[in-house]
Amino acid sequence: MTENKMSSLFSSIRLRWFAAAIVIINGLFPALWILATSLKGEVELTAKPITYLPNSPTLLNFISAFRDQPLLTYLLNSAIVAILSTMLSLFISALAAYAIARLNLRRRDLILTSIIAVSMFPLVTLMVPLFEIMRAANLLNSYWALILPYTVLNLPICTLMLVSFFHDIPRDIENAAMLDGCTRLGALWRIVVPLAAPGVFTAGILAFVNSWDEFLLALSLNSAVAFRTLPVGIQMYQGEFAFPWPIISAALVVAMVPVVIVIVVFQDKVVSGLTSGGLKG
Amino acid sequence: MRTMSRIFSALVVASSVAILLAGVSSVFAGQATTPLKVYIGGQQRPDLMRELFAAYMAANPSIKIDVEIGGATSDLHQKYLNMVLTAKDTTLDIFLIDVVRPAQFAAAGWAEPLNIYFGSNASLEAAMGKYLPAYREANTVAGEIISLPAFADSMFLYYRKDLLKKYDLQPPTTWPELANMARTIAAGEQNPNLQGLSFQAKAIEGTVCTFLLPYWSLGGEMIRDGKLAFDAPKAEAGLAMWRDMVAQGVAKKNVAEVGTDDTRKEFQAGRVIFAVNWGYAWNHFESGADTQVAHKVGVAKLPAMVGGKSVSCMGGWNWAVSAFSKNKAAAAALVRWLSSPETSKQLAIRGSFHPVFASVYQDQDVIRAIPWFADALPVVLTARPRPVTPMYKMVSDALRINTNTVMAGVKKPSEALAEIELRVGRAVR
Amino acid sequence: MQKRTLIDRIIDPSETTLAWVLLTPAILFMLLIVAYPVSSLIVNSFFDIRLSRGVPVRFIGFENYLAALNDAMFWRSVKNTLIITFVTVPGALVVGLGLAMLANMPFKYRGLIRLSLLLPWALPLAFVGLIFAWFFHSEYGIVNDIIRRIALVFPGIGWEPQIWFNSPSLTMIAICLATIWKTSSFMALILLAGLQTIPSSLYEAAEVDGASRWTQFVEITLPLLVPSMLIALIFRTLTAIQSFDIPFSMPGPGEEAQTLAMYVQLNSVDYLDLGYSSALAVFMFMLSMATTVVYLRYVRGGRD
Repeated sequence: MTENKMSSLFSSIRLRWFAAAIVIINGLFPALWILATSLKGEVELTAKPITYLPNSPTLLNFISAFRDQPLLTYLLNSAIVAILSTMLSLFISALAAYAIARLNLRRRDLILTSIIAVSMFPLVTLMVPLFEIMRAANLLNSYWALILPYTVLNLPICTLMLVSFFHDIPRDIENAAMLDGCTRLGALWRIVVPLAAPGVFTAGILAFVNSWDEFLLALSLNSAVAFRTLPVGIQMYQGEFAFPWPIISAALVVAMVPVVIVIVVFQDKVVSGLTSGGLKG
Repeated sequence: MRTMSRIFSALVVASSVAILLAGVSSVFAGQATTPLKVYIGGQQRPDLMRELFAAYMAANPSIKIDVEIGGATSDLHQKYLNMVLTAKDTTLDIFLIDVVRPAQFAAAGWAEPLNIYFGSNASLEAAMGKYLPAYREANTVAGEIISLPAFADSMFLYYRKDLLKKYDLQPPTTWPELANMARTIAAGEQNPNLQGLSFQAKAIEGTVCTFLLPYWSLGGEMIRDGKLAFDAPKAEAGLAMWRDMVAQGVAKKNVAEVGTDDTRKEFQAGRVIFAVNWGYAWNHFESGADTQVAHKVGVAKLPAMVGGKSVSCMGGWNWAVSAFSKNKAAAAALVRWLSSPETSKQLAIRGSFHPVFASVYQDQDVIRAIPWFADALPVVLTARPRPVTPMYKMVSDALRINTNTVMAGVKKPSEALAEIELRVGRAVR
Repeated sequence: MQKRTLIDRIIDPSETTLAWVLLTPAILFMLLIVAYPVSSLIVNSFFDIRLSRGVPVRFIGFENYLAALNDAMFWRSVKNTLIITFVTVPGALVVGLGLAMLANMPFKYRGLIRLSLLLPWALPLAFVGLIFAWFFHSEYGIVNDIIRRIALVFPGIGWEPQIWFNSPSLTMIAICLATIWKTSSFMALILLAGLQTIPSSLYEAAEVDGASRWTQFVEITLPLLVPSMLIALIFRTLTAIQSFDIPFSMPGPGEEAQTLAMYVQLNSVDYLDLGYSSALAVFMFMLSMATTVVYLRYVRGGRD
């Protein structure tokens, strides 16, 4: 067996460590920077030469972050909105994706394109009409004011992901189940979705983070403090001129923790060993 | 089954009665109290405002005031108002608007003109006459009072009085004088990190003032009688003055990156001799965390161009009544109270807000609480409003972006000035 | 065969009926939330609506569109948007693919690698721009600090700290780097899921046949990743066309680095020219639609 140079390079443990180091630095550096900044005093930020680790770490910024704004309320609101809209989005797009991927449907491409078309408009231009809709439905300053739009905004990516993953699952498995007496919908929830788990969880992570980070709608529709979400809340630490990086970094750390947890927990499900055994052949 | 349906019917009856009662009581409630919703920015001391509102409600039991807190910056604040008012929302009664906005609100028909709510012309003149003249002017568009001043702001020349004293210098009256003093002090201190002058040239709103300060000083105007009145040579002289500061090393080379808070932070860290900045900086200098310059800060009028006058840039906020409000009379009354000398005094003492009345600056209680306001008044009196036009945003963009590109060395001054003339002309057409 | 009654249709629907029933929730939600705003937008683009000018609203047909085509700032923002798109979409794909492959490899600290891979996605976009703007600050930023330190150790290289935001091209570089950093995470996430659908048996068979790693990559991994890549590319391209947060936070000189989305927002929220900004948004939609159609055609072509 001849191995060319390339393959020996790729399999070299050294290169792997090097590549791994690059990935880790690339991914962690800004987050660690934020963490370090959240422990610094403001004066240190304009020190020369610049400091990386805090000279005299302090937890004051975290205390201020929680004291100046109801950060926990914002956290809770963001969590409720993100979780509910993600679940709703996954449910609706699973149904739609099944229809598109599996069932005899004319003009599939047209339907898919119309769903994707939702993401083709800059959100800022849809603000006033959306505000009017929510006002007419008396939903302003409520969780639904955000859950409904976020569900729709995440439909394109969820649907497209699930269509692709459903497509890859061979029909025979479903047909076998249906021969055994399962209905179509039963086959969808009991067989197809579990087999498409990597796609489902990936779509879920993407939708969750999209909803978690969304700023414009949250600013405009849920201006009341009780229903404010994190991104809007964090910008409230600013002054007209002042941008207090230490406090905002502390708030960002708090904002990122749940997302990191979600990602860590669910990315395991994304790569859970479905490749061994194999779906095809 | 029978009991179930009985219970069910009972529930239906009970809830209908409850709803009916609620509806009836709300009708009565509506007649008893007038709800007013006030929209203020997150950084405009909502806690203090709430205390003031509580006092007002105590004195006026038929009014119920609800506070809605908006974006932290003028920009976000305005974005929200833009959206809500474009949708003709009726829930907001009163809002704070930036001092550059009245013309825009007037043109868009978003603010209720307040003239009639003064009762009589005499009473109107009496009330309006008390304000600092520049603020009265900024709130009046074509004879209509669009809003009433809430609090003021101005650009000041902050300087290190300890350093000036050390070299036996008095605050400069012209820009060249400032440059000389800065160089003298820098030569004496031998500190490479000490900047002579810090000012803003980042493409932010404050940079509009950077452009206008020397221009106004030489007597230039942007808009006269609603038409463009651009004086290119004066503008060029102004820009040249700033570029000279950088060329001489008095100001740092990356001044195009410097924003309002960058100046404040660096001065507060003790690394700047002269700084051009807004009023908020004072509290940070005197009592901010890790301040290196407490008790070492002096305040002076901004230097003039040679042969020109000392001017400053006007800032501040105004109270406006929404044109879509359902309780305009009550809202107007509240706004008049909010914009009164007594309230201004309270805001000054308890929140360090700059008063909009000359009398309040000179009030004994105020001076005792905030001594530096005595020095601030002469500066505030030199402040001029930025160009008054409904398309202010366009004018602002033209001025600040071109100032930024010139100071960044990316555009030649002649090109920048031509573009300013073109774009501002288009805006006021 | 019996005639199908309505009950029959509900209990055991034909495929087409079932398909439409399953699509109903999605269609319903879209109609409720998006139909009015989008139609409102399109209608507005044919009117002269300038709230700050206090002029009455009137119908002007395609004038807004023609004005845009004659507007130098419009073309410059389109150019900037296209530059960002053509640089960051392939860039994020390549980086994302590398990251995904690395995260998939058996490695002792796999968890840490996966975390690093996904963390950029966890940082809110609005702040990524601000953080990178700070990184590229000429005085207090780490990029210049690192350049300074390298220059100290290797004076021969001749690297100098730059004032990044004084130059349009350097600003674009900063914008693209920040965007690639953030979005390669997005790509990696999707590609990682795609990698899971490739059965290891294929690789094992290839090993037995004597194929090198590189050949395996090109012949097995890439082709089977095409569906995932396409999804990732479609959405990455759509968001690239709508780039706003990162360019907005980078204080580049003047409006040199202004994107189309920034120009739309400028005209709508700041200048209150709703007619013109709606026309610009429709242009953005057309650009997005064109690219999506191209991508989907390619998928169709690939599949058939």
